[in-house]
Amino acid sequence: MDKETVISVENVSKKYCKSLKRSMYYGAMDIGRNMIGMSSKSSRLRKDEFWALNDISFEVKRGETLGIIGPNGAGKTTLLKMLNGIFWPDRGKITVRGRVGALIEVGAGFHPLLTGRENIYINAAILGMTKKEVDEKLDNIVEFAEIGDFINSPVKFYSSGMFVRLGFSVAVHCEPDILLVDEILAVGDIDFQNKCLTKISEIQENASIIIISHNMNTIKLMCDRCLFLFKGNQKGLGNVSDILNIYSKTTFNISDSKGYRSEHIEIDVLDENNLNTNNLIVNKKYHFTFTLKQLFINKGLLISFSFLNLTNNYNHRIEITKYLHLTNMINNVSFNISFKHLTLPPGEYTIRIAISDGDFLKRIYYAERTILFSVMEVENNKFLNYAIS
Amino acid sequence: MIQGLQQMKDSISMNEIITTYEPDNSLKKGYLSIFGQIFLELKQNRWLTYQLFKRDFLSSYKQSFLGVLWAIILPLFTIAIFIGLNRSGILNIGDIGAPYSIYALLGMAFWQFFSTGLVACSNSLVNAGPMILKINFSKKSLVIAAAGKAIVPFIIQIMMVFILFVGYGKTPSISGLLVPVFIIPLILFTIGLGFFTALLNAVIRDIGNIISILLTFMLFFTPVLYAKPRFGVLATITKHNPLYYLVSTPRDLALKGLVLEWKGFLIVCFISILLFIGCLFVFHLTETRVAERI
Repeated sequence: MDKETVISVENVSKKYCKSLKRSMYYGAMDIGRNMIGMSSKSSRLRKDEFWALNDISFEVKRGETLGIIGPNGAGKTTLLKMLNGIFWPDRGKITVRGRVGALIEVGAGFHPLLTGRENIYINAAILGMTKKEVDEKLDNIVEFAEIGDFINSPVKFYSSGMFVRLGFSVAVHCEPDILLVDEILAVGDIDFQNKCLTKISEIQENASIIIISHNMNTIKLMCDRCLFLFKGNQKGLGNVSDILNIYSKTTFNISDSKGYRSEHIEIDVLDENNLNTNNLIVNKKYHFTFTLKQLFINKGLLISFSFLNLTNNYNHRIEITKYLHLTNMINNVSFNISFKHLTLPPGEYTIRIAISDGDFLKRIYYAERTILFSVMEVENNKFLNYAIS
Repeated sequence: MIQGLQQMKDSISMNEIITTYEPDNSLKKGYLSIFGQIFLELKQNRWLTYQLFKRDFLSSYKQSFLGVLWAIILPLFTIAIFIGLNRSGILNIGDIGAPYSIYALLGMAFWQFFSTGLVACSNSLVNAGPMILKINFSKKSLVIAAAGKAIVPFIIQIMMVFILFVGYGKTPSISGLLVPVFIIPLILFTIGLGFFTALLNAVIRDIGNIISILLTFMLFFTPVLYAKPRFGVLATITKHNPLYYLVSTPRDLALKGLVLEWKGFLIVCFISILLFIGCLFVFHLTETRVAERI
């Protein structure tokens, strides 16, 4: 491992056990074997065990920021916990150079009955700071957290925002060489989020950072490189935009879905030549065709649907009241939503749709993940039309 | 300037600790290096241990009116039961050569140090479960800090003993000043056993309950509240019970000014030291497995 590499992960795997009773038994067995100096033979799978992470390898250089992405259950948090030494690998080797700070959950270890000040000292000690460091940074920590007079009140009287702010504040004042961040940038209100991002950028100047996020904008904004995990396997490592492409293709299956068919609804996206498509371009002309089938309406047909951006949480809802006069059996009723200029921000999208009877809250049919499509910007066709002068 | 920067960089990288995580890490590094690691870890984490102790201490008495007084109320009740049993003739306490309440309270102070400490240690990892899963810190500090829970009640009980001495118009033996030295084996025994039970309890929760039952049981089989029996099964048990020596030696020292059973006490001292080192060693080897099973 050369001097500029601060984290090296070599063929690391981690197994978990599905059954609690077996987990107890295996735990006792492993502890027993370690106790008498025998290898725990952790590279084999026993009954009810599975690989939660399988054969992961990567390196992080000094000053570099690596993003980890992947759907739920991909093994992201497990990997982060292994880098922090909370869990140990069952195969392979992890080498870490320098002090590691982990933001896996803010305020972990806060005691509700103790005051903010008391908790700062305890939490800081748990995070590996010395008394001298805490004494020096106490004022900064309190100021950053924006707690004010509440610093001498028990933490259990804090609002959840104050609690999280204090936790975050302690953690970022740790000045680690390597910072591990697990999807906690979404804490507090928008002002505090910005403050956190600024603080993390400051840390970025002196430290290597590993960030887990579901928000692809965060990843694009902060990371030099990106690691994509899927069901415990390493599906990609490299340049952020390349990996984000692989991520969308693997996770959302956009390439092999054209149109959506179900018992009650069909959705198609047609371009200006009336051809089915799922690769849309900003500002071009499209229409979305919805066909309703086999639905019984008493009071009047209401349709609502949302464009959901799968990569950055953007969503926009549209309500259609035009068909309120339609009642009774609805079969093969089609309508078109036409866009002269499609004005959706670029990203991967799905449509969530609800059919209601007389009132938008009385849903009679609901579909979560229907059609999948992506929206792209190209030269001369940008989401925001701007000129630079 | 540039040279200075270069030097600074070098010194930074010189100080950086390289940590490796891989299966059977200790096996690969060799057992002898482990003692050094353990010692260094304990030394580096003194402040953390103190903070964890403070957390336990402050939180356990904060939302209560009587606060620390509870540490004295509970043993007083146990002693009251024994005095009642003694007066009614159900139980024969035997010849103790000192006022019974002093004898009993002093005995209970040492006994409770052991039992409170052991229970606190056993539950330390389980109670800190969520924290262990989110932050990597020294789990040894957690166990040692938990044993600290026994210290404050112990001090209060010793103060009660002083008040009783004054009340009875007696003076404790001057050798009683050596008591802090003579309870070191008791401390080592408690924490040592605590390391082991904490580990087991983290994986198998039955251990916690078993310990509570055993402690109640052991209190009646150890001459804490009665004199050492001379004949019978109980006498044989007492002779081989390390807790008897750990409790009665410092008590004899305070009451009578001398150690009555040097041989037994020294053997038990030796056992305590071995137990402490052995269990700490085992704990170090296996603590990395705790987080995934807790």
